[in-house]
Parts: sequence; C-alpha cells; structure tokens
Amino acid sequence: MKEIVYIAVGELRYWLRSHLALGGSLVFLMLISITSILTTGHINAENNARVQQQKNAEDTFLTQPDRHPHRMVHYGHYVFRSPPPLATFDPGLDAITGQSIFLEGHRQNTAMFAESGASADLGGLSWLSPALVYQIFAPLIIILLGHGAIAREREAALLTPILSLGVSGYSLVLGKALALLIFIIIIMIPLMVTCTIAVFKGADPIAAGLLFCVYLLYLIVWGIMTLCVSSILHKRSTVLAVLSSCWFIFNLALPSLAVNFVTYTTPLSGKIETDLTLLADLHKVGDGHNINDPAFGQLREQLLKKYNAQSLADLPVNFRGIVAIEGERKLTNVLNSYAARRMAGETQQSQQLANYGWLTPTLAITFISRSIAGTDLANYHRFQKEAEALRFSFVQKLNHAHAEQLSYSDDIQRNKDEASGLKARINASNWKSLGSYHFKKSILSDRVKSAFYSFNILLTWFFEMCIMLFLCARGINS
Amino acid sequence: MNPLETPFIKTIRREIAFTARDHTVWFWMIIVTCLSVLSVAFGQAEIKHQHVQIQSLVQANEASNTLESSKWNDWGSAAFYHYHMTYDAPSDFAFAALGQRDNQPWKHRIRMLALEGQIYERDVSNPSITIIGRFDFSFLAAFVFPLILIMLLYDLRASEIKAGRYHLLVSSVSHIASLWPLRTILRTTAVLLCLLVPMIFAGAINGTSLSTLLQASIMVLLFTLFWSVVCYIVSAWRQSSAIILTTLVGLWVVTAVVLPAGAKVAIDKAVPLPSGADILLHQRETVNDAWDIPKEITMNNFLQRHPKWANYQPKPPSFDWPWYYAFQQVGDQATENLSTAYRNGRLQRDRIAGWVSLIAPSSLLERSLQSLANTGTAASIDYEDRVRIYHSKLREFYYPKLFRHEPYDKTHLNKVPRFNGR
Repeated sequence: MKEIVYIAVGELRYWLRSHLALGGSLVFLMLISITSILTTGHINAENNARVQQQKNAEDTFLTQPDRHPHRMVHYGHYVFRSPPPLATFDPGLDAITGQSIFLEGHRQNTAMFAESGASADLGGLSWLSPALVYQIFAPLIIILLGHGAIAREREAALLTPILSLGVSGYSLVLGKALALLIFIIIIMIPLMVTCTIAVFKGADPIAAGLLFCVYLLYLIVWGIMTLCVSSILHKRSTVLAVLSSCWFIFNLALPSLAVNFVTYTTPLSGKIETDLTLLADLHKVGDGHNINDPAFGQLREQLLKKYNAQSLADLPVNFRGIVAIEGERKLTNVLNSYAARRMAGETQQSQQLANYGWLTPTLAITFISRSIAGTDLANYHRFQKEAEALRFSFVQKLNHAHAEQLSYSDDIQRNKDEASGLKARINASNWKSLGSYHFKKSILSDRVKSAFYSFNILLTWFFEMCIMLFLCARGINS
Repeated sequence: MNPLETPFIKTIRREIAFTARDHTVWFWMIIVTCLSVLSVAFGQAEIKHQHVQIQSLVQANEASNTLESSKWNDWGSAAFYHYHMTYDAPSDFAFAALGQRDNQPWKHRIRMLALEGQIYERDVSNPSITIIGRFDFSFLAAFVFPLILIMLLYDLRASEIKAGRYHLLVSSVSHIASLWPLRTILRTTAVLLCLLVPMIFAGAINGTSLSTLLQASIMVLLFTLFWSVVCYIVSAWRQSSAIILTTLVGLWVVTAVVLPAGAKVAIDKAVPLPSGADILLHQRETVNDAWDIPKEITMNNFLQRHPKWANYQPKPPSFDWPWYYAFQQVGDQATENLSTAYRNGRLQRDRIAGWVSLIAPSSLLERSLQSLANTGTAASIDYEDRVRIYHSKLREFYYPKLFRHEPYDKTHLNKVPRFNGR
C-alpha cells in the first residue's frame, strides 16, 4: 500500500514539474470554467424569459373580453418549455428542440422556435456545454497526462530498476492509477460547483450526486484505457498517437456514424406525413363544427330520447356544444394515437442509438447525462404530452361552457346581426378555467430509470477496462 | 543510366517506396477511405430518402385535396381547405454536406391563412439524432481529417531522430532541405486522394456538376494544404514528439471547437433577435381581434396596402370570406416588422459567422461545402423566402376570385400556382 501511494505521489510530482501537464490542465480548467459560467448564465436567462412569456400568454388569455366560447377555442393558448435546473450543466436537447407550442382546438401543433434554428452556425462542435467539455475534452487531458505513466519509465529504461526493487507490476500500475484518479477528481471540481449552484436553483441533490458519480466512472474508464495503452506500447509518442486516435474515433467519428446507421435502418416519417395519413381517420370522427355531420346522428337521437325532446331547440343543453365536446374527444383520440406512435418511433430510434454505446463510452455517457439532467428525448416528449393534456382540458372546458352556458337558439342566430352576435357570448370569467402552467422538471426516479440502460453499458466498459488493466499489469516487465 | 534519373528523381522514387512500406500510412489510408465511403454512401441514402419523402408527400397531399375538394362550394372554402406542399429538394451535392437539413424545416404544408402562423412550424428530425449530427463528408473533411493528418505528420522528423536514422538520412540525401517537404507532400497526397475519390465518385453518380466537384475538391485541397503546412512547421520544432503532437491537437481544439463555440456565443449576444414567441402572439392578437372590431377598420388596414380591391362590395347575407382573408393578411402585416427583423437578424448572424470562420478553418470548410450544397443557414432562409413568395402568389390567385365574387369553378383549381421546389 505504501509503495502505491509513493508511486502516486511521484507521478503527481512529475506532472507538477511538466510544463505540458500543467499547461494542459490549466487550459482545460479555463475552458470548463468559462463554459460553465456562460452556460449557467444563458440557461438561467432562458428560464426567466420563458417563465415570463408563459405568464404573458396566460395574462392575455385571461384578459380577453366576453366571447363566444368557440372563438376562444380558436384563439388558443401558448405553453413554454422551461429548462430544468441541471440544464446549466447539460442543456442536452434544449437548444435544438422547439421552446413553445401553440395550443388550439382540433389541432396538435409542433413545438416552434428552437434556439439552434436562429443561432450563428459555425458547425461541428460549436454547442459547447460543461457536459460536452467533460465528455470530449476531459478524456483528452487525461490522455495528455497519463500516456507517459508507464511508457515514460520504460523509455527512460527505469522500468527494470523499479521492478528489481521489488515493486510489482500491480503496485506500479495502481500507483499511477491512483495519481490519475486524484487528477480526475481535481478536474471535476467545476462540475461540482456547477451542480451545487443548480441544486440551489432547485435541482435534486441526488441527481447532482449521480451526475458526479457517472462522470467519475466515465473519466476513470478513459484513465484506465490510457494506462493500458501506456503499459502495452513501448514508444511514448506511439502511445500518445494511438490514444489520440482512439479519442477522436470514439468521440467524433463513432457517434455520428452511429447516427448514420440508425437513421438508415429505422427511418422515421415526419409530422406532415403523419398528418396526411391520419386524415382518413379524421373523416370517420366527423367535423365538430357541423351538427349535421352524420357522425353525430346517433348522439342526437340519444339526447333527444334522453330529454324526451322533439327538436334540438328543446334540449336543456346546447347541442352545438355537445357536438363540439364529442368531436374534440374523438379527434383527440385519433391525434393522440398518432402522436404516441411518432414518439414511440423517436424513442425507438434513440434507443437504437444508445445501443452504440457498446462501441463508444462517449455515447453511453451522453445518454446517461441527458437523462439525469432531465434534458433528454423523454423530457421533450413529456413536454409535448403535457401541452396536449392542457390543450384538451381547456378546449373541453370551453366546449362544456358552450354546451351549458349558451342557449342553442342564441347560438344558431349568432351571425344574424350585431345584437345577436353580442348575445351569443359567455362571461369572460370562464377563461379562468385555463389555470396556470409551468413545465416542471421530471421526477427523479423516472430520469434514473431512463438512464439505467446506458448506465449498464458504461459499467460494463468500466469492468472491461479493469480486467484489461489487470492483464496489462500482469504483463509488465522490462 | 537513364538521363532523367537525376538525384532528385531518385530521392522521390525512394521516398515513394519508403512511404509505401510504412504501415501507419497504409492504416490511415484505409481508415480515411472507409470513412469517406461511409460518409458519402449514407449521405446519398439520406438524400434519396428525402427525395422519396418529398414525392410521396406531394402525392399524398394531392390525394387529400382531391378527396376534400368535393366539399368546397365557393372560392372562400376552397382557399380555406386547400393545402399546398412546399419543400426544398436537396441539391445534387447535398449528399456531401447535409448541413442544416436535420435542424431546419425544409417542408411545409401551407394554406391561404395568415402565413406567420404556419411558416415557423418545424417538421424536423428526431432531436436526439440531430444533436449528434450526421457523419457527412463535410464533417469528415473539416473536423476528422485534420486530426488524421496530424497523426500522420507529427513525428516525421522526430521519429527519424529517435530511430537513429536522421543523420544517416541527412548525409545520404543530396538536398536534405527538400526531404521533409517531400515526405509531407507524399503522405498528405495519399490520404487526400483517399478522402476525395469517393466523394468525386458519388458526385459523378449524382450528376453533380463538374464545377461544383472541382470547387469542393479545391476547398478541401486548400484546407489540407493549410493543415499540412501547420504540421510541417510545428514538427520542425526541436521538441519531443509528444509535445509536437500535443501542440497540434491543441491547435485543432482551438480552431475547430473553442473559437467557433466562443464566436457563436459572441455573435448571438451581439445580434439580438426578436423572440419568436412575440411574433406569434402579436400575429394571433391581430387576427383574433378582427372578430371583435368593426369590419371597416380591418378592411381599411387591408386596403391601404392593397388599394387594388378598394371598390370591393361585401355581399351581405353570406359569411364574408374576403374580409376573413383580409384580416389574415392584416395579421401578417402586423408582424411584418418583427418577422423581417427575425429573418434579417438570422442572416446577419450567419454573415458574421462567415467572417469569423476565416480564422477557424474547419468552420470555414464546412460552411463553404454547405453553401456549395445549398444546405446552410442562408439556403434555409432562402427557402423560407420562397415559401413567402409562393404564399403571396396564392393570394394573387385567390383574391380576384374572392373580391370580384367570381362564381366557383372547380376546373380553375388546376391553375392554382404550384410550388417550385427545384
């Protein structure tokens, strides 16, 4: 044990003397600090803006005057997607997904205005976030420091003397590993700071802790990989070249290539295509504006029979409102089934992509990180589902008001003249039924569950690397 | 002895033989060839998929219009229910640079209503796919290829010194000064050909114009030249290979990642955009208020811009379709300023990004290839402009029929302008 610590201290001392190690670490710490500050500021500003926009949208809805209820169904409402607190560390899909959805009767709109659509485009990796810096650049700095760990001793012909002193290959490797681990923990300080600030802004402390653990695991995987290569190859510069090649193949090439494979093998149809295919189903549902649509014939009979009425005018409820309720309900069922299918397709695609984590740990960590931060695809789908639930609820509340508070005779005469138009209105106090909306962060257990699959992959990487290191350590000789 | 066999030619021959014996060179040549083939093949497949998608969407939309058209009984309802596909077909070079096509909408299904409510719809790919981005030729050439060049060129000299051959070489070569450039050129050319040939081959299959392929090749060539010169200069530095390699990778990180990322933040800060939500809220208010205010106000607002229809007389008994479309257009007019600012702001950001990319070669190459392929931000805004023009043509088509109360005639629907998606 003592010799392990001794070797670790020696390695740390060596790094402190090495301009390369010091300079590299300094540049990395600067990069991560600046990125963290900028991202935190940006996400907080976005959050404030979207909360404000949500409030404005609600206020404008509430201040609308007395109106025909169906007017308000078409007037519609907006919901805004606020980023979760941990988005300051991993903004994930925030920038490339739409921020707001327009909610109106009879339609499910797409989320509009993604930040990426309006940003200056400089290509490649220009969306830097603290998470991305840890995923991609932290491994590079680990390689820079660790590549010489064993190769250096060998190149300087120091390996034989060290081993002949009675130090085993295991102790040597463990000592170097300990030094790397200490270094990894040091470079994770900015992560801890960013996540702690996020906790003060409402993030779950457990989620922040989990992020720390998974990134630690990920960087350890890279650390061990570095040590393995350093102990196998003889030339220091070859070690560095091989590791750098692994680095850009794992981080740049493989994830994008995986995207190519996945989109090719499981192509998705877009929203317009779905809209066109669901039209046939919508015809069966009937037009909720048209009380004479045969789709509502049975409903009419039932109601007339129930209230023992001769004509629609005799009904105690406004039949037009009833038809609007029924039409919206059936239509929403159709829309929801198609939306569910589209989301399932997207989830499947993203699941397939996650499978490629077996080839590169970078993909595994991106999926885990986004899930735990709550900025993944599931979160975006949750936003769309919540928006849809809100849309359906406020439209149906207005339709109920239509059926119950507006008489059928007033309703059918609404276009006769101005006075009739004024009569065919309901009180603006009904608009309050909209309620207020805030897109909250998802429940932690859900996030952990969705991170589980990729976490297993990362854990497998870790164990594989440990076995590799064991084998390498056993094979160390001069 | 062959009179052409000057010592210089001899050196070249020896160097070619030397390079051909080097396993590292072969390894990277194979890798680059594979990556290049994969990138253009998948790019090609995606383009084909998009063409098929466009075709099937246009057909499905036609079919649904035909189905619906039985219900249309006047020009007002025909204009209301008639949907039109607009799309931006991928160019014949898009296989090499898919650019913004996963992120920006390139297809819309629009109708005669206020355009502002429709044009920002985003029918785009799965975001968990978009965030990583595809491995297309432009990404390979601009971001991955320089790293491969670095791996090939960083230890040309240092490795010879280490191997103890350096002094032997110096004494055996007539012009030692020309040896390292020669090696650099040979290695660079080898991988550059592996990179370019699959792209040019795919271009030939696609019928990409020769000048486009030539321009693309020259861009990649210049970019490669830049990186090989950088590698050459840095590797001439009398330092250990580890330091040389680290410096080169560091240069890559700075020019390919840090500079673009920093510039992006700075540009977005420097050129503020109106919030998209404001455009939509404002547009909706104007459109919806029309129901509550006297029709004359709306019509006056409309006629100010379109005096052509000033002598229009509303037909009292029926629902007034011309007024309905007039307030839709007034809604668009109301957001015109915001919307133009949003458009111009994006263009401005893109222009500045173009200037900034002059100091970030990877961004410059990727942007240049995208602009050759018509898949950049400018192309996407250009598509948006064409949708706007098309929508105004629809208005020009329907307005005479609506405002002059022309009798509805189904056969005229054939003359509805069609979107030319190229």
